[in-house]
Amino acid sequence: MILVGELSLWVALLMAAWAATVSFAGGQMRRADLIESGERAIYATLAMVVLASLGLWTALLTHDFSIRYVASYTSANLPKVYTITAFWGGQSGSLLFWALILSIYSAIALWTNRTRNRELMPYVSGTLALILVFFLVTICLGSNPFERLDFIPVDGRGLNPQLQNPGMAIHPPNLYLGYVGTSIPFAFAIAALLTRRLDAEWLAAVRRWALLAWFFNTVGIVLGMWWAYVELGWGGYWAWDPVENASLLPWLVNTAFLHSIMVQEKRGMLRKWNVTLVVSAFLLSIFGTFITRSGVISSVHSFAQSPVGKWFAAFLVLAIVVTAYLVSTRLQDLRSNAELESMVSREAAFLYNNLVLVGIAFSVLWGTLFPIISEAVRGNKITVGPPFFNTVNIPLGLLLLLLTGIGPLIAWRRASVANLKRQFLIPVSAAATIGILFFALGVHNLAALLSYSFGALVLATIVQEFYKGVSARHRMYGESRVIALPRLVARNRRRYGGYIVHLGVVVVFAAFAGLAFKREFDLTLSAGDTRAVTDAWGHQWTFLSQGISRYNVLNREVTAIALDVTRDGKPAGVITSEKRQHVDSRGAPTFEPSTEVGIMGSFKQDVYVVLAGVRGADGAEIRVTFNPLVRWVWLGGALMALGGLVVMWPAADRQRAQSGYAAVLKPRPIGEQVPDLVGA
Amino acid sequence: MAVAKDSMSRRQFVLAIPALGLVAAAFPRRINAAQVAVQTFNGPMADANDVYRPVTLPAKPGAATSMTAAQRDDLEHQIHCQCGCNLDVYTCRTTDFSCSVSPAMHADVMGLVAGGHTAQEILAAFKAVYGEKVLMAPVRSGFNLVGYTMPFIALGTGAVIVAALLKRWKSRAPIAPAIEPHHVDATEGELAALDAAVRRDR
Repeated sequence: MILVGELSLWVALLMAAWAATVSFAGGQMRRADLIESGERAIYATLAMVVLASLGLWTALLTHDFSIRYVASYTSANLPKVYTITAFWGGQSGSLLFWALILSIYSAIALWTNRTRNRELMPYVSGTLALILVFFLVTICLGSNPFERLDFIPVDGRGLNPQLQNPGMAIHPPNLYLGYVGTSIPFAFAIAALLTRRLDAEWLAAVRRWALLAWFFNTVGIVLGMWWAYVELGWGGYWAWDPVENASLLPWLVNTAFLHSIMVQEKRGMLRKWNVTLVVSAFLLSIFGTFITRSGVISSVHSFAQSPVGKWFAAFLVLAIVVTAYLVSTRLQDLRSNAELESMVSREAAFLYNNLVLVGIAFSVLWGTLFPIISEAVRGNKITVGPPFFNTVNIPLGLLLLLLTGIGPLIAWRRASVANLKRQFLIPVSAAATIGILFFALGVHNLAALLSYSFGALVLATIVQEFYKGVSARHRMYGESRVIALPRLVARNRRRYGGYIVHLGVVVVFAAFAGLAFKREFDLTLSAGDTRAVTDAWGHQWTFLSQGISRYNVLNREVTAIALDVTRDGKPAGVITSEKRQHVDSRGAPTFEPSTEVGIMGSFKQDVYVVLAGVRGADGAEIRVTFNPLVRWVWLGGALMALGGLVVMWPAADRQRAQSGYAAVLKPRPIGEQVPDLVGA
Repeated sequence: MAVAKDSMSRRQFVLAIPALGLVAAAFPRRINAAQVAVQTFNGPMADANDVYRPVTLPAKPGAATSMTAAQRDDLEHQIHCQCGCNLDVYTCRTTDFSCSVSPAMHADVMGLVAGGHTAQEILAAFKAVYGEKVLMAPVRSGFNLVGYTMPFIALGTGAVIVAALLKRWKSRAPIAPAIEPHHVDATEGELAALDAAVRRDR
């Protein structure tokens, strides 16, 4: 099976090259046989990549340590689940995993469009095949997971302990599903540019794919935050590390696209902008991969440095040049149909929102690259860490949150003063009330105060929109409000799913603002010692050390401390934090010791304990961090994902018809909000 | 799309492609033990002997400790551990069991605090020894100001462009409604009911 997998990889490369060649040729020559051959070659590529993947999984599960990848990332005593997930634990395996997802996506895209978008499909399959060729060439020639060692080690090195975590088992696949998902919209954009068929057809084909990529990107980012929080032990979930930033970039641009696509659908505007966003999301995904694999920027998450970084850089440059050429030569075809009636309109609000989203993406990209730029200009190495990113991005994030509340309140085309007054009254009142209340309660951190205030604005907007929608259904159909709510969402998933995403954004921002009340304590304890500290809420916590224990479990030697915890004199439970030294099957240490954080969590705050060091037989140095509202980050992330699912869920034909009411009811006074049942 | 339909020898293709694959794969490259991949996820990447350099200043006359423990911890949050972990000194020394660099840098901070030096003086001393990379964020002067201001300049420029575009689009906006009608199959009765509901809502 391993040999079959290895051979399949090369066959897949040739298949993909064939697919690219005949698809473009077929499109140009308008020959159905070539087009068909190209599409079948994509399916064949999928089959070959699946075989190659099965080959690698077989090698991993049979512990074939003659293969470099297996020896580098697994060991005989590695738990089976992590032996399976080691597939994407290293450089070459993760590249193969990328190719596997891309070939699956490509096959699905071709299959679902076998009777639609036929003018575009030769170029779509050609573009996807070219991307596959790039990945397969990189795998076969630059980072081959089937490379063999010139000796057979007794045991493998094992998987990095920090990757032996459920979060790490599912976080990378989600991120890859998100990254690779941007390839399909990109391929459609290239096809539309090449054929000059830049009407709404290609956009309709890519919306669901862009949503899918956004959904997986969101889930991947949130799971990555959770993994960093529970596994790395530094006390937070986002460190503005270059690799974290790289995952955020396509997400931001994709989010901008999912908003601006509505303007093109409703008003035929922003055609150039939408093409640019689709292309940029893909390029930023490739850029993220380049960052992770090139070693050009220091990151704790990077794979080992390897020559494939240069390959990615070359591919990135080529893709930028080709797409820039295509866009610049088709500007006339990308001219908008409609014009703007008012600066105070939903479409204008979407533009402002896009400006801020892309502005944040730029600032993240700029901060990530600034060390390189600074070194090139001044010859001086600098560090651009969280203080820089927080300084720059907190104001932009607050502006985005404000626009999240304002946008849905403004009517399409033109908002009248009466409309604005009616729509804004409750949300602005809520924002002011929360702002004053929180200030009175002692929240004097400006960013936190604005965050809660703007969050209240968005929340009130969402509640108002749901209330009006439910009320309209109640009046029209006589439904009870309990029945009307799910039906309202079901009838217009796109609009109300979007509001659920906005709700998730508010919850996440509220949790971020909670960081203003974070407290950290550095304590030294011997067995039987007690230390008392006070959190930001004024509660007094005591930590009584029960001493250090040492024992062996599975593939690791564990050093643990147990702490009896009280809050305001009442028992709160026991927290245990560990240091783990992983060993191979012969008992030899494999990696540096890793942290197992002790967390006592609630929706108010987490008590986060890290065993930082051991002194003598029973002395311990621990860090206690009170992290407010962390659970709300996971809740907000889940809400965003849920909203994304609601938006993606296919609608029945009848529901699609109803979503068009807004357009049909157009002879209305200008500025009048079309409420409740209509499409966003 | 009008397309021509020609026949192709698919059998030849199906046979030829795997054959080429077999040829390409027939020469698996072998590598030696030194090239076994190194996993760089987290953990200290450098030893104190390699990267640590002492940061000392003479104690001020009659020196007393210049800051509280909390202020010192805040200061250590601004100093970049040089072990390669990308964390600040405080976080690294209270997280990483095996890092020998952050405890050494912490000891230097303790010594400077005991010597009566202010936070700014301590940061300057670290910068003099390690260079600017030892600070968690670039100092706000010189070329670094470009770093801090560029996102806002870009956003401002974008805002100006958007404003100009909006103005241009607005000036040539047609009066006629421009919404492209969706294909709607709703009945007249449904539309009338919805319109009535909307009117009541005003």
